[in-house]
Amino acid sequence: MSALNENRKNAVLFTIALVIAAIYLFPLYWMYVTSLKTNSSIFAVPPEFLPGAPQWQTYALIWNESDILRYLKNSIFIATGVTLVTVIVGAGAAYVLARYRSIWIDIALFTILMLQVLPPSLMVTPIFVAFTSLGILEYPRIGTILAISAKTMPFFVILCRAAFMSIPRELEEAALVDGNSRAGAFVMIVLPLARNGILVAALLIFMQGFGEYVYSASLIADNRLQPASIGMTNYLQPNVVTWNAIMAFAATYVTPILAAFVLLQRKIVSGLTSGALK
Amino acid sequence: MGRLARSLRDGIGFDTLLVFFTLAYLLAFAGLPLLYNIVLSFQSVDMFALGSLFHEVTGLENYRAVFEDPLARTVLWNTILFTLGSVLFQFTLGFALALFFNQAFPGSTWFRGLFLAGWVMPGLVVGVLWNWLLSGDFGVINWLLLNTGIIDDPIFWRSDTDYSLLAVMLANIWYGVPFNMILLSVGLAAIPEDLYEAAELDGATAVQRFFTITLPMMRSTIGAVIALGIIFTLQQFDLFAAITSGGPAGSSMVAQYWSWELSFRQFDFGRGAVIAVMMIVVVLGVAAIYVRSTRQETRL
Repeated sequence: MSALNENRKNAVLFTIALVIAAIYLFPLYWMYVTSLKTNSSIFAVPPEFLPGAPQWQTYALIWNESDILRYLKNSIFIATGVTLVTVIVGAGAAYVLARYRSIWIDIALFTILMLQVLPPSLMVTPIFVAFTSLGILEYPRIGTILAISAKTMPFFVILCRAAFMSIPRELEEAALVDGNSRAGAFVMIVLPLARNGILVAALLIFMQGFGEYVYSASLIADNRLQPASIGMTNYLQPNVVTWNAIMAFAATYVTPILAAFVLLQRKIVSGLTSGALK
Repeated sequence: MGRLARSLRDGIGFDTLLVFFTLAYLLAFAGLPLLYNIVLSFQSVDMFALGSLFHEVTGLENYRAVFEDPLARTVLWNTILFTLGSVLFQFTLGFALALFFNQAFPGSTWFRGLFLAGWVMPGLVVGVLWNWLLSGDFGVINWLLLNTGIIDDPIFWRSDTDYSLLAVMLANIWYGVPFNMILLSVGLAAIPEDLYEAAELDGATAVQRFFTITLPMMRSTIGAVIALGIIFTLQQFDLFAAITSGGPAGSSMVAQYWSWELSFRQFDFGRGAVIAVMMIVVVLGVAAIYVRSTRQETRL
């Protein structure tokens, strides 16, 4: 094919890609545009696809009146707790499962994969009853962190295992020859080398904890301890009309996630694809 | 130094300890609740019985109550419809996009990555966005359908019993397309380029190449993606909470939402556990098939 034809073909494909991506991302665009409209222009027919003068005061309003700061702090608290528990408890097993092949390793992997698929909305009933009678729900956010971590752990182990598998065994063996113990080689050689993979996996876990809803909604009764996902539903009463405020709340909540995603897009995609199909 | 301490630091004990640590956690917070779920399904558990771990045993009473519930048939049908519809469209659209972006043009990888912005969003927020997009009087989707002449009167997606399940399904399809696309892209990238070149030299058309090379080579990936799609769809809860809450009149109620509603809205934990137990059996069955099939292909 001549270079000219090749260029034209690329231009056409590029344009189609642009259109498809724009259609797919429209809901996100609509969230931001709606959040910047006035109370009356959100109901304009036909809809105003470009915002008029941006109404930033809606953001100031929800910031002052909706306790969004408290909700976000709780979300960060829960997401941080979930990430710490998941990484600390899960990284070691991911390493061992990457290093050996035996029937026991296969059984452990199978068990972990099976536990990954349990739907939270079905597991929350026994967890709620058990946590209540054992007194764990005296500390509802801790209880929620423990429950969510059991859900995120298998996913983290699978992603992390892929990261550990990419580290050449020879490097570790060299460290052992140099007189390191197994534990020493793990901490000094393997963990630093797998750092990027672990960080990407940890970031995905943090995002999951930050957006979690089922466990938080079921285990945390005290409004002051609830995360932003529940703060949003408090806004969603029947017959709501303040869609601009709701969208401003949503935008404030997800913009940090989207920003992290845009910055780390390539690493997230490669981390995800290396783990998910193995 | 004792032999045990040595082994923990430097031998097989070190590996065992690391795995045991993780498995013990999962056993405590996933395995035991799984078993406890079964126990609860045979007990009568209400708000006042929460003080103790064990409650009055009522045998199959909860199961009987669930099966005789007039909502049960609707829920079963809705769950099947929601799962099949979501998986079918997520997969088809995801596959179409994966094929499109598999043509290497400048920016194709970058564009493809953009779609994952939908996937990283919290489910509840996705539900709220679609709640607004599908709004009856002022929703942008109704406006589009009215103006293109596809419908004559606005559809009240969330409050019309004929459309409520479809409303959640639309949101779920949007939410699931990126994941399908990315996994299928990985499968496409693994097909050796020279297969296509050889077929092209032999005069095979693009359609023939798709059916004789792409589909057969993608078989294991397609199986895995569909199994994962079913698993994720059976986990979907947030979208129901944000769009219809299973209503109106149970018209968009699916099993994973009904279980939660019985437990946390009607405070009948025994019946909530019954549905949870039955659904978990289904999910684990699908997962076992998935794990077995990927294992053969990729040496899990």
